[in-house]
Amino acid sequence: MIILAFVGILIGVLIGIYLPITYSASYSLYVSVAILACLDSVFGGIRAALEKKFNTEIFISGFFGNAILAAFLAYVGDRLGVPLYYAAIFAFGGRLFQNFAIIRRLIFRKRDSN
Amino acid sequence: MSNQNNSGIIWLIILSILLGVLLSLQMKQNIDDYDLVSLKNIQMMKNEINNIRKEIDDIKELTENKKKELEKLKTVIDDEDEDISELLQDEIDKLKLVSGLEDVQGPGIRIIIDDNKDEAVVGEQINDDIVHDADIQIILNDLRKAGAEAISINGQRVMSRSEIKCGGPIIRVNGRSSAPPFVITAIGDPKLLYAAINAPNTHGWLLREVHKLRVEALMKDNVYVPKYYWAEQDFKYAKPKKEGE
Repeated sequence: MIILAFVGILIGVLIGIYLPITYSASYSLYVSVAILACLDSVFGGIRAALEKKFNTEIFISGFFGNAILAAFLAYVGDRLGVPLYYAAIFAFGGRLFQNFAIIRRLIFRKRDSN
Repeated sequence: MSNQNNSGIIWLIILSILLGVLLSLQMKQNIDDYDLVSLKNIQMMKNEINNIRKEIDDIKELTENKKKELEKLKTVIDDEDEDISELLQDEIDKLKLVSGLEDVQGPGIRIIIDDNKDEAVVGEQINDDIVHDADIQIILNDLRKAGAEAISINGQRVMSRSEIKCGGPIIRVNGRSSAPPFVITAIGDPKLLYAAINAPNTHGWLLREVHKLRVEALMKDNVYVPKYYWAEQDFKYAKPKKEGE
């Protein structure tokens, strides 16, 4: 599962490098926050899969919903002059490490039990 | 359950690929020096842009003016009835006026500045009671700021090369000595010039009210300022800068 996810990310990176798509640099802040949200979703998905309670609907809605909400927050913060995207960075960044810690524990426990 | 799990894996892979695409696209942006853009930065940049735009407009206007001048000269040259020397004479007169080589007259003010003649000495300091070259210079600057077009001190026209030098009880202007009382004549808007000398906290006011010097300003309908006599006409060091150099 984990390997599959990483292989997917790798393939995506390769595709992205050769895709002739660029966007305005002014959107890069929103996209970077959205990327953080997506990364968090994928880690959450891996963790859920290891815990054997993976739910496709929750995963997909979380992936897109979190990304859109994070980008939206960054946009609104820009409009208001308050760096609201910090909220997204702290929430998703914190959860990313938490998920990663749980994934590590699950993997090692599985290996020990075998 | 197995079916659900399979589709989950497929989705996980698909979305991972999407994440990878986004990642690499973002990296491809190669944002150098990515910085937080605050409202203040934006405002500053806007100001900068406005200033540069203004500059460009000024330059455009300048080229427009030069084009018109060129056009005028061309028509005069082409037209056989008109004489180009007339036009050139006009130009020379204008330049003479600008460079102070012409006697000028017009509305303005006359200022008389004299030492404190009273017996009672303010602060027991003789230096507080006499007019200094620096006082004159500050007053001249005040007058220029108030829009004075021509200034003379005791009949000496003040131009770009005029020195105002302390010589003990006298001052030296254009290499010639002047004794107090100093009569400064300036052409310009009389009310503005008068205010530049008499308004509270100007240097003229300070001299009169604090140092008790004699500072009198008179608004005149017509004053006369003589032309500038060049002591040294040649410019040894300053040479005109050619265009495009």
